[in-house]
Amino acid sequence: MAIQAVHVPESLDDVIACSARGGRIMGGGTALMPLVNSGAAAVTELVSLRRAGLCGIEVAEGVATIGAAATLAAVGEHPRLAFLRPALRTIASPTIRNQATVGGNLFVAQPYGDLGVCLLALDATCEIAGPDGRRDAPVADVLAAGTAAGEVVAAIRITLPEPGAWHYHKAMRRRLNSASIVTVASVAAPGGRRIVLGGVAPRPVRAFSAERLLDGRPLTPENLTEAGEAARADIDPFDDAYASAWYRARVLPVHLRRAFLP
Amino acid sequence: MTYRLAPIDTGAFAAERDDTGLTVVGSVVQRSDARGHVTGRTEFFEDVAPPRLAHLKMHRSARHHARIAGVDVTAALAVPGVLRVLTHADVPNNVYTVLKLIGVEPDDEPVLAVDKVRYLGEPVCAVIAETEAAALDGAAAVEVSYEDLPHVLDVEEALEEGAPLVNEYQGQNHFVYEGHHCRRIRFGDVEAAFARADHVFEWRYQSSPIEQAPVETTGCVVVPQADGRLRIHSDTQACFFTLDNTALILGTPFNRLRIVGGTVGGGFGGKVDVVVEPIACVAAMAVDRPVKFVYDRAEEMQVSSPRAAERIVIKDAVMDDGRVTGRKVTLYVDAGAYARHSPYGTTKAAAHLPGPYSIPNVWADCHCVFTNRTPSSAMRGFGVTIADFALESQMDRIARALGMDPLRLRLINAYRDGDVKAHRKIAEGTALVEVIQKAAELAGHDLPEDCRRMSSTTREGL
Amino acid sequence: MPSQIVSLVVNGERREFIAAPGATLLACLRESLGLIAAKRGCAQGACGTCTVLVEGRPEASCLVPVETVAGASVRTLEGVTAGGELDEVQSAFIDCFATQCGFCTSGMIMVAEALLERNPDPSEDDVIEAVSGNVCRCTGYRPIVIAIMEAARRRRERAVPR
Repeated sequence: MAIQAVHVPESLDDVIACSARGGRIMGGGTALMPLVNSGAAAVTELVSLRRAGLCGIEVAEGVATIGAAATLAAVGEHPRLAFLRPALRTIASPTIRNQATVGGNLFVAQPYGDLGVCLLALDATCEIAGPDGRRDAPVADVLAAGTAAGEVVAAIRITLPEPGAWHYHKAMRRRLNSASIVTVASVAAPGGRRIVLGGVAPRPVRAFSAERLLDGRPLTPENLTEAGEAARADIDPFDDAYASAWYRARVLPVHLRRAFLP
Repeated sequence: MTYRLAPIDTGAFAAERDDTGLTVVGSVVQRSDARGHVTGRTEFFEDVAPPRLAHLKMHRSARHHARIAGVDVTAALAVPGVLRVLTHADVPNNVYTVLKLIGVEPDDEPVLAVDKVRYLGEPVCAVIAETEAAALDGAAAVEVSYEDLPHVLDVEEALEEGAPLVNEYQGQNHFVYEGHHCRRIRFGDVEAAFARADHVFEWRYQSSPIEQAPVETTGCVVVPQADGRLRIHSDTQACFFTLDNTALILGTPFNRLRIVGGTVGGGFGGKVDVVVEPIACVAAMAVDRPVKFVYDRAEEMQVSSPRAAERIVIKDAVMDDGRVTGRKVTLYVDAGAYARHSPYGTTKAAAHLPGPYSIPNVWADCHCVFTNRTPSSAMRGFGVTIADFALESQMDRIARALGMDPLRLRLINAYRDGDVKAHRKIAEGTALVEVIQKAAELAGHDLPEDCRRMSSTTREGL
Repeated sequence: MPSQIVSLVVNGERREFIAAPGATLLACLRESLGLIAAKRGCAQGACGTCTVLVEGRPEASCLVPVETVAGASVRTLEGVTAGGELDEVQSAFIDCFATQCGFCTSGMIMVAEALLERNPDPSEDDVIEAVSGNVCRCTGYRPIVIAIMEAARRRRERAVPR
């Protein structure tokens, strides 16, 4: 379908108004524009977030509020978000990280969307704006079910992890710029350790089985391998050009272990 | 990081270098095209922008194998901006084969499908429109109704009795070589060699199709000239081959066409077939406007011809001392639905057997097989590369089975000057022994003295 | 929505042109402005040959609807060749044989320019990461990495007054 209009609203209210009229919200376009270019996107109007004032990143009292249209590059360059830098460097290329956005990353299909894996591990909160006002939603809900028609994710809030509490590892076919075979992100928080997996299900999944096994136990190679084997109960892997479902399940324990013991 | 700027390694083979007085060999010569590349001024085919350029997009088969019951272009013509929809009836000589230029028969491939489709993605209708987006919409709006036929996607299944017939123009699911069912080598008596051998090793090798994936996709821009000629800007790797085939398809004298080419954004064999130019020429004449037909990335991956998948079975007669005394090879090239360059590629594979070794008894059957898959064609040493993978894997496995240094196994069997090869040619100018010796030295692999004394010009050590 | 007039600052010069709705920055550069150095390779952001600098940062121009960057500063390979003089990256690409078919060259040079602007003394790993979004199917990556290292060296030497 040919594009009939591209809206570049300059405020969140205008974004919502454009979206209400049927436009498709677009962050950096790295997922949507390939479909537009090949004529495969069922969309005639685009609403770009590029100038909607949603690019800001603020950190106060241990909480970061990241505008949905902040690029992955901007997040990686922010001094207070340095813990995410290694994860971001595993996502696409520097060029694409200049375009892809934090919000957009929540809406790409696995095995892409490693930042979404991180945000789920961090138990992020999405600030959602829509015709009926604002609401907050756990990132888990957005990853699972998206947003309602006419709504837009405006920002994402995360609590910064304590030093040493954050772990991330991504297995890929190449050292750089390759999609996930297995992605592991984990945060140790007062309420317990959260472990989230990417690349092994249609959307990022919490490895509840692994979390339970590791509860109160030291992160030894044996315990981690056992947890990785248990985590096979939490995944729903798929075949693609990067790896088979069998391979993803097979190597999951190895990579879960490497997330903690490189 | 240490690096050298020029790709000339004066350190290697230093002792063998002497002052020959050569002024170019061994010196750094700048590429003549580099300045254009680094300034962005090199003109690739898609960089020409003639006024009133129209765009062509293809409606392609959604089936592996099906009879076409009907084609409805009404909805496509109704798309705003669509100028024309071409079918096979618009192409003067619709059925062709590219190697007819060197006498290969029969014509076996339609430019646009006639009564059936033989692979997923086969072109059915060409939609010409004012814009690329309109051409895409138009192509999507063409409606083809199919009656499915059983398809065959495996070379050995295709050769079985009762397999679905892929290509009626060929008449059977293999290419016929001067009356024979395959390209053959018969030299000595392999069965006798197997009977006398200390060991018989038989292994099977299989490759997948490999897409050349040039960064610049296949395409052309055809510009009608005031004098009635057509100027074709193309990224073909074979300008004159393309010109001749296009003229034959159009039924025009060769001098009505002019090809502007030679600048190819990566080809690797994938731009040797003549698939975009003929229909783009028909389109340009039909609308009397310049027309661009360029594959998108998905088309490049799905329908541009890859390196053929091959299946190779090698059975060797081997003595305890490592001599290979007999080699029997059964090789299948998956040509896909149409011949293109595969009859030639299969012949190349046969010509390459049994590898660079002097084996006194050789038997080979090399089959060029038609299946309902994307037609395969040229890619970097096609016919030879996969055979080499199989042959050298076989040598390694034999060496392992015998507990022998794999280089020694190769040195024992390497051809020497004066050997009669399986094709009954006398080998001359051979250098495999010396190449292996040098490679071993560079890799720090210690060859024993008797191996180091071997030579391509003597029987030393045999 | 009809075509509209879009304005960009391209290679330091303000340019205005008419763009159809949703036209990509790549299409506008090539078709409206005649700047052909950036190429279309995949139209998916996967090959890097369309890379240009938007406000100094590399972007895949095939993924950018031009309306979204209206008014922005854009730099293409044509803008690197100032007054017919090759810069250090371009001359190093020639001297190090970092071009083969030439189709990826524009994108490679643009990411190199952006890298050296931010990091005049990159490590080999930095260079490899910078070009990790750019495909060279002639597979001449090694000479490309060498050329960018060499360009960095030449630029640093030039910057030191002698």
